[in-house]
Amino acid sequence: MARAIMKLENINAGYEKLQTLFDVNLEVPEGEITVIVGPNGAGKSTLLKTMFGLTKVYTGRIVFDNKDITKLPPHERAKLGMAFIFQLENVFANLSVRENLRLAGHDLPPDVLEERIKEVFETFPRLKERVDQKAGTMSGGERQMLAMAIGMIRKPKIFLIDEPTAGLAPKLAKGVLENVKRLNEQGYTIVLVEQNVKAGLEIGDKGVLVVNGRIAFDGPASELLARKDLARLYLGVGGR
Amino acid sequence: MVDLNLLMSTTIYGSVLALLALGITIIYMTTKVFNFAHPRLSLVGAYLAATAMAVYVQHAGIKPNFEGSQVLGGQLIVPYPASVYIIGFLVAMVGGVLAAMFEYYVILKPLLKRGADFLKLMIATLAYDFLLMAVLLLYNTHVWIKKTLKDGLNLIATKMDFSAYDFALITQGQTYISGGFILAVAVTVVLALSLYILLFRTTLGIKMRASVENPPLAEVLGVNVERIYAISWIISGLTAGIAGFLMLLEPSSGSLKPISATSPADEIVVSAFAGSIVGGVNSIFGSIFGGFFIGYVETYVTNWLALLLGMKELFKYSRVVSMFIVGLTLMFAPQGVIALLREKKVVDRILAFVKGRRGEK
Ligand SMILES: Nc1ncnc2c1ncn2[C@@H]1O[C@H](COP(=O)(O)OP(=O)(O)O)[C@@H](O)[C@H]1O
Ligand SMILES: [Mg+2]
Repeated sequence: MARAIMKLENINAGYEKLQTLFDVNLEVPEGEITVIVGPNGAGKSTLLKTMFGLTKVYTGRIVFDNKDITKLPPHERAKLGMAFIFQLENVFANLSVRENLRLAGHDLPPDVLEERIKEVFETFPRLKERVDQKAGTMSGGERQMLAMAIGMIRKPKIFLIDEPTAGLAPKLAKGVLENVKRLNEQGYTIVLVEQNVKAGLEIGDKGVLVVNGRIAFDGPASELLARKDLARLYLGVGGR
Repeated sequence: MVDLNLLMSTTIYGSVLALLALGITIIYMTTKVFNFAHPRLSLVGAYLAATAMAVYVQHAGIKPNFEGSQVLGGQLIVPYPASVYIIGFLVAMVGGVLAAMFEYYVILKPLLKRGADFLKLMIATLAYDFLLMAVLLLYNTHVWIKKTLKDGLNLIATKMDFSAYDFALITQGQTYISGGFILAVAVTVVLALSLYILLFRTTLGIKMRASVENPPLAEVLGVNVERIYAISWIISGLTAGIAGFLMLLEPSSGSLKPISATSPADEIVVSAFAGSIVGGVNSIFGSIFGGFFIGYVETYVTNWLALLLGMKELFKYSRVVSMFIVGLTLMFAPQGVIALLREKKVVDRILAFVKGRRGEK
């Protein structure tokens, strides 16, 4: 098995006084896609946010790339090579496409930044056509592309992606998951939260089931997909 | 006939309000707090600057140019060399920034860390305002401080006549162009332009706008949002200090004259917030417009009413005009008067409201 690029050890975390995650132990293997599934409100987003320092950690330890990052603020985790694509509001609506990209790569040397922006435009030619348009005026699919592009600018070591297909038409959703898969093929480690359990687990290597803030399953994605008992119990997709 | 003196002093007053509204708006947009202490920050700048200028004038052996002095508009105008004004300008900025940083780091940040809500933060700014007021009042009136200032620096704080620092630029008989007026307009224009360049032409500006729109997303992309907030407090303190400096130049129209440490900030807070609200609270350039708008409307409407009713003492109540405008703004254009220009709906809403009223009767 690949080495764990991120480790969560005995994590208890939440929002101020509301504990949401309980005794979470989790390893994210380098170069793989880890897919997190679970019912609404189970704590999947909270789990991603905790990895990035956006929640309150009461006890436990988070290790990234052999460094203890438990106490690091989010902007410093970003500099260590972590990227997070939020479920909602994942681009700056009031900034143009170019400004969004410049912000994402603000600490790169200017020539490297220009190079990266060019690369991103090769991957997403649609964005190039809209370079001076405000992100808020673009379609949902285009915004999702920009969100991916923002994440890619710094060439992070790990991508945390929260429900990228939520609210998209099935056809668009398929395209988004294909993009995620392609990102992974370029060598990026990915942690993906996906509400479309089947489609998500099919592109995943590792599958994690979160229920009521606890890890209920942790193993190969194909195995989780095959566990009809878990699916029927927690996901309500057994019949499908 | 246009009363030139009134127009000039109102313009200085308008720039002071514009700068104050700007500072209030910047802090509301970033830290999400209504800083009631903001006008007092400018007064800290004004007092420090007045002190520094007076000390400099006395101890560098600078004589005001009495030969070039004139009584203009009922006001003795004594020109000083430019260095006096430069010192005042710099000291006022430093004073404003220090007072603002103290407020952010010592009072608000610890509260924010503990998750204080909007209301608690607002009350805390009020408390800070009272604290500053007390300090300035002591500076003004405390026996020991007064004596020390007088003996040591030959300075009488209560007699610091701020408007003595205005100067005439172009004179023709009894008509003159006030230097304070030119300076106020120039400073406000330069500041607005610099701010525009900072916000829309630099990476720091992109970071600031991003941190205002979506702080968690900015953090996740490697922006130290807390530092951006600190920078916005510095900018806010800077503009407050400059506003304080401009207060020193206001000829005695009555709107700004700081008779004591308490009165100007106590009153101007109403007009400054009115400027910010008229500007839309979330628009930097709206706030500059709002400040000038309030400055002119407040002065001229009161002036007109006073003439109409033949009641000079009406000037004491000029803030009522601002309160009235705030009420109208919140009722008909809660996004600010600037939004009126973009949004035709507001006009429709006013018409509908008027029609509705008529229907009731
Ligand atoms: N910002 C927040 N503040 C307080 N509670 C929150 C916040 N975000 C989520 N929660 C709570 O944490 C729990 C888990 O939410 P979340 O992680 O968003 O679930 P999921 O992503 O699995 O649907 C829910 O009970 C939710 O109400
Ligand atoms: Mg979620």
